[in-house]
Amino acid sequence: MKILRINMSEDAPAVKFEDLGQYEGLGGRAITSAIISKEVDPLCHPLSADNKLVIACGLLGGSAAAMSGRTSVGCKSPLTGGIKEANSGGQAGQVLGRLGIAAIVLEGKPKGDDTYKIYINKNGVKVEKDNSLKMLPNYDLIEKMKKEFGEKIACISIGPAGEMKMSGASVALTDMELRPTRHAGRGGVGAVMGSKGVKVIVLDDTETSPRQPKNVEAFKEANKKFVAGLQKHPVTGQGLPAYGTNVLTNIINEVGAYPTYNFKEGRFAGARKISGEVEAELEKQRGGNPTHGCHRGCVIRCSGIYHDKDGHYLTKQPEYETVWALGGNCGVDDIDKIAMMDFLCDNYGVDTIEMGATIAVAMEAGLLKWGDADAAINLLHEVGKGTHLGRIIGNGAAFTGKAFGVERVPVVKGQALPAYDPRAIQGIGVTYATSPMGADHTAGYSIALNVLKTGGFVDPLKPEGQVDLSRNLQIATAFVDSTGMCLFIAFALLDQPETNQALLDMLNAFYGWNMTDKDVVEYGKKVLKFERDFNIRAGFTKEHDRLPRFFYKEPISPHNTVFQVKDEELDQLFNW
Amino acid sequence: MVAAIPEQILKMKVVVKLFGGIKSEKDFPRNEEKDLIVETEKPLTIYELIDFLSLNKKPFIVVLNGVILTNLSIQIKDGDEISLFPPIAGG
Repeated sequence: MKILRINMSEDAPAVKFEDLGQYEGLGGRAITSAIISKEVDPLCHPLSADNKLVIACGLLGGSAAAMSGRTSVGCKSPLTGGIKEANSGGQAGQVLGRLGIAAIVLEGKPKGDDTYKIYINKNGVKVEKDNSLKMLPNYDLIEKMKKEFGEKIACISIGPAGEMKMSGASVALTDMELRPTRHAGRGGVGAVMGSKGVKVIVLDDTETSPRQPKNVEAFKEANKKFVAGLQKHPVTGQGLPAYGTNVLTNIINEVGAYPTYNFKEGRFAGARKISGEVEAELEKQRGGNPTHGCHRGCVIRCSGIYHDKDGHYLTKQPEYETVWALGGNCGVDDIDKIAMMDFLCDNYGVDTIEMGATIAVAMEAGLLKWGDADAAINLLHEVGKGTHLGRIIGNGAAFTGKAFGVERVPVVKGQALPAYDPRAIQGIGVTYATSPMGADHTAGYSIALNVLKTGGFVDPLKPEGQVDLSRNLQIATAFVDSTGMCLFIAFALLDQPETNQALLDMLNAFYGWNMTDKDVVEYGKKVLKFERDFNIRAGFTKEHDRLPRFFYKEPISPHNTVFQVKDEELDQLFNW
Repeated sequence: MVAAIPEQILKMKVVVKLFGGIKSEKDFPRNEEKDLIVETEKPLTIYELIDFLSLNKKPFIVVLNGVILTNLSIQIKDGDEISLFPPIAGG
């Protein structure tokens, strides 16, 4: 495996393949965070030539391992000012691995405002100016790429939001149907790609083969056990395939942790109308599909395909976080309009969580009424067009809150909180506060133990035990994100020691390692240390590891609780 | 002389919400949200209530008035809301 460096500062961008060298043994989030931490000036402007955008497959990317197709996108974040790894499904991770590329590093910055496309296949790399691609929405762009390069490609692209360098801009990855539906959404990674002048990277793995393990038989055996473990577990084998991630709407609402009206209440009266159960039923009725993988090799298949009322494709199955952000958080209970907003976010290339949180802040400011889905749709169009208002919204909740003088702005390190209220689920509040990524639910998904009773149970309403819980999950997640595995395997790993062992056996057979659980912990800590260290050098202090103060002062219904984990306890998270 | 049993213990009404494909094989009255309205003449534990409902699959997560239960042997009270879920996850 090689690192592919493309320096965009040159008139004819310089392309260089390098051995992994000091990055040997690192994949996914580990390699993106290591490169950013070691090579990027933490004080640089995120949109400057000094920042780098790293796109990496995981340790098992491009192999025959099930679930191993995730892609990590890393940089210094224009949204948080700290390090960022945004993780996505889609086809690119597997294709990168098959092309023998551990990471693409986009460096420098073009002098002019030309737009570039990059084509990579087994024979090499072609970087070309193509100004006809300027400001194309993601779906139109991919149609154009299909005409030019055929249908056996995977694309990594930005929409207009990335070109306009908005802090809410995402990087889109195409799915199995070659649609730009999977996104490295968080932290404005799309703006950094835009600052490099790169509109799209087209990957073509024609005439390549899967990466081969060192011990073929042991790898095959471990993969078989791993898949059997995922199929046996009720969550990964039944719950997620049947209803997708949006099955969470009802339970998070029932336990009073569903942030509603910009985190003012813990329950939404319209929750059932936008739940995963309703979504799955509509998909069946309209000829969509409620059980669909986001990349080849996925055996959980938690995604789906959403059709409109006339039975035409509208978007992929909107995820729980998206439905909450653009739905309940804004008082919107119309699932078709939420699906339309999901499509617009994908097409313009913006993070659905950040946009939902931002629209709710705009509603709080009185720009539009609570529950007015049509006005929210118009606001997303403004983002896509880049009007002055659209540029404010496209820069996220913190920016919009400042622009309109709003006090209740639910962000940590400038990044919007996702779909679980930290007053009703205290463990996730610890993760939001302390993750080097800013408020990020995936960084240490306490919901698994605080609500879903996977891997045990820690009372969500009490502060006790939450720091230990979040720490352990953040360490484990940093490792899983480095393997290229989908994080949803964790539900089976937490409950089934043999499935956890199968994952280790797979890695050991692939690389000839002897990794144990103890090594997993050390690996995860190493990744977090890269990230934490970068943030400290970028000027972050313990005071940045806090929730906004309203979470400590305003009780949320129905439990009438505030966030109770003390600051000094939060400061112990990285004290291992 | 034996004390009279209070009326509210003799008869109680609870709302049962079923999610994630859980269904009851019995025909209970329902509210506007299509939740089951379950009346019982004797105090039931959550275990007994679940048994009484004749469900198509065993609930994994039980929420009583917004609180996740770890002990299903507690008794339900008149006016309680009980939400039942199979094993689920997302994020």
